[in-house]
Amino acid sequence: MSKKEPVIFAIGWNACINCGACVAICPQEAGFISPFDTIAVDRPCDIACLLCEDICPVSTITHKRA
Amino acid sequence: MPDSQYDLVIIGSGPAGSTTARFAAQHGLKVLLVDKRQELGAPIQCSGAVSRHALEEVGITPDAEFIHEPIYGFGIYNGRGEKTTIDYRRLKPEEYGPEDGKKPLGYVVDRRRFDRYLMTQAERAGVEVWLKTEGLSYRPDANGSCEVFLRRFNQEIKVKARILVGADGLQSQVGKWAGLRTHIKITELASCLQFIVDQVETEGLLEIITGHEWAPGGYAWVFPKGHGYAEIGLGVISTMTDKDAQWHLDKFIRQSFFKDRFENSRILEIQGGGVPLAAPLRTQYADNLILVGDAARHVNPITGGGIHTALSGGYIAGNFLAEFLNSGQPPTAQNLEGYQNAWLEALGNKMWKLYGVKADIFRNNDIEERDALLYQTMAGYFSPNSEYKKI
Ligand SMILES: Cc1cc2nc3c(=O)[nH]c(=O)nc-3n(C[C@H](O)[C@H](O)[C@H](O)COP(=O)(O)OP(=O)(O)OC[C@H]3O[C@@H](n4cnc5c(N)ncnc54)[C@H](O)[C@@H]3O)c2cc1C
Ligand code: SF4
Ligand code: SF4
Repeated sequence: MSKKEPVIFAIGWNACINCGACVAICPQEAGFISPFDTIAVDRPCDIACLLCEDICPVSTITHKRA
Repeated sequence: MPDSQYDLVIIGSGPAGSTTARFAAQHGLKVLLVDKRQELGAPIQCSGAVSRHALEEVGITPDAEFIHEPIYGFGIYNGRGEKTTIDYRRLKPEEYGPEDGKKPLGYVVDRRRFDRYLMTQAERAGVEVWLKTEGLSYRPDANGSCEVFLRRFNQEIKVKARILVGADGLQSQVGKWAGLRTHIKITELASCLQFIVDQVETEGLLEIITGHEWAPGGYAWVFPKGHGYAEIGLGVISTMTDKDAQWHLDKFIRQSFFKDRFENSRILEIQGGGVPLAAPLRTQYADNLILVGDAARHVNPITGGGIHTALSGGYIAGNFLAEFLNSGQPPTAQNLEGYQNAWLEALGNKMWKLYGVKADIFRNNDIEERDALLYQTMAGYFSPNSEYKKI
């Protein structure tokens, strides 16, 4: 169900266990990371493959259209 | 003014980075090891199981500072709870056991203490270590060296290195800086979650529970964690399930054949991470740069274990780079291919073979057959006669 329109992510920090899986799966170029070792949340992702949401062990990543 | 010219700058002080650093420094290289964390190993993203052989091979003496509990073998389960026990206390009683003069097969280590211990050993070998220092980028220069850009306690610093080593783990950015193809397929990255629990009994064995019912695409585990604690976790491949790892772990704890055993469990810590059940990177080098450990995907594709491979990868990298730089060759991508070749010969070819075994299992779309294959493979893998014993 990957949409190709750019998306911007929100992380539910309360559930995030800082595991880094979202960054590990992300095909973005270097640097698409937040200071908490998750995928970036301060700028849109234009790839929008949503693999980061799929891999998150606690399903705490959500997105809206950028 | 600190001298800012190094032979090696190593990004990431996990088992791979600190081991690379230690062996390179022992051979006389000037090494800077940086890690962005304030406390190595934390937050923990690992269960910490490692063989004694893996430690001794790289000159690490098992030490109470980092050991949670000694391990004497394995209990491999199929999805119905049938078990293959591989207990070296029974298989080779003269060699393995808790008694004086006998040894464990391996350990469950505390990654915070373990990573710090490895860093300390590197430091004592002459490595300069900077914590709270993030690698930002690198740029090969005209003189055959490279500039490495770092941020240390908010201060931007540029240092020079002859070779940059990316030991920055699974989330590796260093490989991306060099344009290497580091991408992992979603079908080959297990999404993992584990709880450290109280009130679950263990008996010195690493227990591995296979079966699509409990951990689609991966497996579940129960490891002894010392002081009467245990570790319960699992990894799943997200394309093989609609649910997340948390849901599967909850189901495993409440509904599996272990539900009575887990009934009074109390959660003490929650950890997770990604484990690549994938092939090593095809290209682990570029101009002035090599990758080692998880960053190069030096991970066992069957077990997901990456501590041993990070340690041996570090040993190979450290020794290779020392010899390489002392020989005066320019660190071009072409010349650094020698590192990957040395690694393939010592370790990598076996990992590629294991990847083939793993890929064959998961190519099978019949769940029952696949479950049976995975169970047999796991049981065979850990048996004393396994050809892969040393990975
Ligand atoms: C849930 C789980 C359980 C596991 N259980 C086991 C197990 O029981 N046995 C086993 O053998 N393996 C296990 N593994 C795998 C094992 O943890 C890894 O393979 C191993 O840690 C790899 O070591 P490494 O040195 O390559 O990388 P890491 O240990 O990931 O170290 C990388 C280091 O680089 C630093 N870093 C990253 N980016 C930067 C940057 N830009 N600048 C500065 N520093 C940076 C990080 O802070 C980190 O300290 C498990 C993994 C997971 C997720
Ligand atoms: S949608 Fe894809 S490319 Fe964008 S942040 Fe998530 S994993 Fe990365
Ligand atoms: S995958 Fe989920 S839990 Fe892990 S770091 Fe990313 S947002 Fe946090």
